Amino acid sequence: MKPRLSTLIRHLLALTIAATFLLPLAWTLAASLRPAGLPPPRGFEFLHWPPSFENYSRIFEILPFARYAFNSLLVALAGVLLTLLTASWAGFGMSLLGRRAQIRLLILSIFLQMIPFTALWLSRFLFFARLGLTNSYYAMLAPALMGTSPLFILLFYWTFRRIDRAVFESASLDGANLFQTWMRIALPLARPALMAVGLLAFLFYWNDFISPLLYLRSQTLYTLPVGMLQLQEMDRTNWPLLMAAAVLVTAPAVIVFAALQHSVLWWESE
Amino acid sequence: MRLSRFILAFLFLLSACQSNASEKISFMVFGDPAELAAYQKLVDAFSQAHPDVQVELIHIPSQGDYRNRLAADLAAGAPADVVLINYRRYAAFADAGALEPLGGYLEKSSVIKESDFYPQAVEPFKWNGQLMCIPQNISSLVVYYNKELFDAAGVDYPAEGWTWDDFLAAAQALTKDLDGDGATDQFGVGLEPSLIRFAPFVWQAGGEVVDDQFHSTSLVIDSDEGYAAMEFFVGLQTVHHVVPNAEEEKSEDSESRFVNGRTAMFFNSRRGVPTYRESAQFDWDVAALPQNKEQAGILHADAYCLPSASKNKDAAWVFIEYANSVEGQTIVAASGRTVPSLIAVANSCAFLDPNAKPANSRVFLDTIPFIHALPVHRFWVDIEDTASAEIARAFYGETPVYDALFRAIERTGEYFKLK
Amino acid sequence: MFRLRPSLFLTPYLLGALLLIALPAGISIYIAFTRYNGIAAPVVVGWENFQLLRLDPLARVALTNSLIFVTQSVPLRVIGALGLALFFNQPRRGTGFYRAAVTLPTVIPEAAYALAWTWILNPLYGPFNAILRGLGFAPPAWFADSDSAMLGLVIASLFPLGEGFIILLAGLRHIPREIYDAARVDGANRFQILASITLPLLAPWLALFAIRDVVMSFQNTFTLAFITTRGGPYYATFFPTQLIYEFAFSRMDFGAASAVMLLVFLVTSALVLLVYFLFADDPFDEA
Repeated sequence: MKPRLSTLIRHLLALTIAATFLLPLAWTLAASLRPAGLPPPRGFEFLHWPPSFENYSRIFEILPFARYAFNSLLVALAGVLLTLLTASWAGFGMSLLGRRAQIRLLILSIFLQMIPFTALWLSRFLFFARLGLTNSYYAMLAPALMGTSPLFILLFYWTFRRIDRAVFESASLDGANLFQTWMRIALPLARPALMAVGLLAFLFYWNDFISPLLYLRSQTLYTLPVGMLQLQEMDRTNWPLLMAAAVLVTAPAVIVFAALQHSVLWWESE
Repeated sequence: MRLSRFILAFLFLLSACQSNASEKISFMVFGDPAELAAYQKLVDAFSQAHPDVQVELIHIPSQGDYRNRLAADLAAGAPADVVLINYRRYAAFADAGALEPLGGYLEKSSVIKESDFYPQAVEPFKWNGQLMCIPQNISSLVVYYNKELFDAAGVDYPAEGWTWDDFLAAAQALTKDLDGDGATDQFGVGLEPSLIRFAPFVWQAGGEVVDDQFHSTSLVIDSDEGYAAMEFFVGLQTVHHVVPNAEEEKSEDSESRFVNGRTAMFFNSRRGVPTYRESAQFDWDVAALPQNKEQAGILHADAYCLPSASKNKDAAWVFIEYANSVEGQTIVAASGRTVPSLIAVANSCAFLDPNAKPANSRVFLDTIPFIHALPVHRFWVDIEDTASAEIARAFYGETPVYDALFRAIERTGEYFKLK
Repeated sequence: MFRLRPSLFLTPYLLGALLLIALPAGISIYIAFTRYNGIAAPVVVGWENFQLLRLDPLARVALTNSLIFVTQSVPLRVIGALGLALFFNQPRRGTGFYRAAVTLPTVIPEAAYALAWTWILNPLYGPFNAILRGLGFAPPAWFADSDSAMLGLVIASLFPLGEGFIILLAGLRHIPREIYDAARVDGANRFQILASITLPLLAPWLALFAIRDVVMSFQNTFTLAFITTRGGPYYATFFPTQLIYEFAFSRMDFGAASAVMLLVFLVTSALVLLVYFLFADDPFDEA
């Protein structure tokens, strides 16, 4: 086989794969642009022409989606900030421990990473309820206390442990306490981890569906995924409208991903 | 540390959303946007009359989720102060002691008294003889029909006293493949395959749904009458195809088809009116259910309940009292949402408004003497869900009628046995 | 040497793990042995909830569905993620775009993703069936039919595999280049290298992903099924998480709900212990 041909085949294959994975989103987007009130399409139609954006404005008339979007953003930003703090602290602390303690924490983290939220949500709900923390964002943001996900801690840990300990020690000789060392020396060296964890934490809180479903009661506190469920229950088969909602909820996640994807997809590559 | 101060400020922002009024209560409802608008009007009017009480309206779209939400809120110890609950769904809460009995409040009220209400709406809300909640409506299942489709097909509108046969003939004449591609584009009927929709057919056939209204121990829909009702009900889909099949229903549900003018008759309670008034672009009306051996309808009633965990019971009662006063019920009735449970309001212009659809609202009142209620039972929600799953399976042709009836009785038996 | 001890930085993490994992696990152990409706105080009843659960047909259905889903979805996802990681491992022109495209479905909020699939697999009007019909097939009714609903969920679960993709890319980077060079010098062809070097060295990573995927399917199926089918038609997509939800909030039986949760937790923990043995010698140390 000539190298040219094999390269061409490889690229064609790659393009096909990429297109396949983009298809669900493309179909959703196309369906959301179908004018409201038309009878459903018979036969294959990728995009109704001319497209219409009225479904998007209609959503904001039916439900306070602007409010939901603001809430989602508030939760996601708070979640990201807190996560960056706690995860980098834990990763930093872990990298300074003795070797045996490090391994023990590593195993603990992998263990914790593996436990699905659904195995515990009911008792977490009862716990938060007894503390009076339901119907507020505290319960939703609680995972940020433990760095949201042990994986995030490990990402910082792997970053910090590659930094020579002498760097931190010299800082302490200059009179910096450990907190200052973390702030002025460790963090600036952990830009890739900050970006990767920032991205993943944003997606975690932005995408969260079960916690708001469980914890939030007041409509003024709802986030976008719950708003979308609300819309679905009002009109189960109004497809253009529902797909427009799905696109609205998805778009910010995709944008943030596009901006920061390099940090995750090429982690440690450089 | 500027960063940490910023974060603290941010956290504060998260919690700083609640304001303090003198009295604050929350009121949880379910329903479509048009129904929500009706309750918003009620809350607004209440706020005018009682400026000292602030009401937060909490809205859950679907009734099934609404009940789950309420169960979760009760478990969290923080339910809304006023909740609307259907008579088929409140028993579990009453049994757990989660609801404040309202009989005593009603007796002391100078605004409303029990005899102002239709007894058919009040009775189901008595738990062990105690009135638990104050019903807002006495709705029942009716047939909504698209007059324009009837005209186009040359079919007479449903007449008073129409029979199952009349109904089926109309449904068949109204089921059409308009473009000749072999797929039905217009259905005669939209009917949800569930126990609440099926039950009136059993009564019409002369059968019973449970063995005892107040101390039920089993479903009894496997009688000859129940079997006949099931054959007819299921046959609408499996034999006559006048109702969408599972695939068609999932692709576009019957209510959307009706609102979009592609289904001629749709079975629903009074609940649909605000939405149809707003969205249906055609002339429509309501008719009583068709009859078989008997005339029978099914009660749909929701009531205002007061959770015992409410921290503001007096203010909550003031709201419930207002909502069930002539003034309050008139507001919600005018939206079309309810068939008022207050006899005076039901017979007033607010409900029988000749200028608002449906023109034949009187049907809801005329059929009250023929209304049957489903039993009040702690596990009724599960019983109904289980039976409905079996009915749906037969309805969509996945299992024979006798099998569905047998399994419905056998499986719901587990819930009747639970202590 | 330091005035602040490193362990201080670990406090939020460990406190969080205690409050959000250990404590709820303890609560669910306790409630699983009680009768509790969420309102009155719990009453200890011993093994009653577990005995009732053993007889509950819905519990059996939920467990069976879980097993069916896991045995169909997880192998396909692992193979898919592996294939993609191998294919897009080498940085070439366009790899950045391809990797991003492949990861994109993982980024979509799961509720929106599930909603999108209710449209994509819409039996009459959806694009997927339109294509199948165009190709001359008689397409299934997917979420409207108890025979094909599960398959619909499995198909939908095949796209968001970015996590495994990234894990395996990381695993591939951990294989030292010299091993490959040595193999090529020995004249091994591409498939021999794959079979005798890449796959064996990647095995722990594959196992990590596979087990995590099994565990996470308890969670992922909830949102997917909650939005697309609500467990139907006729319990065809009814999973343990929905059983917990129904027990707790529909039947108000928190005892039975906790019993299910405890079982899920135990199964999960057993699987996780497996990972512990796989990783006892800490392969991450190379990082």
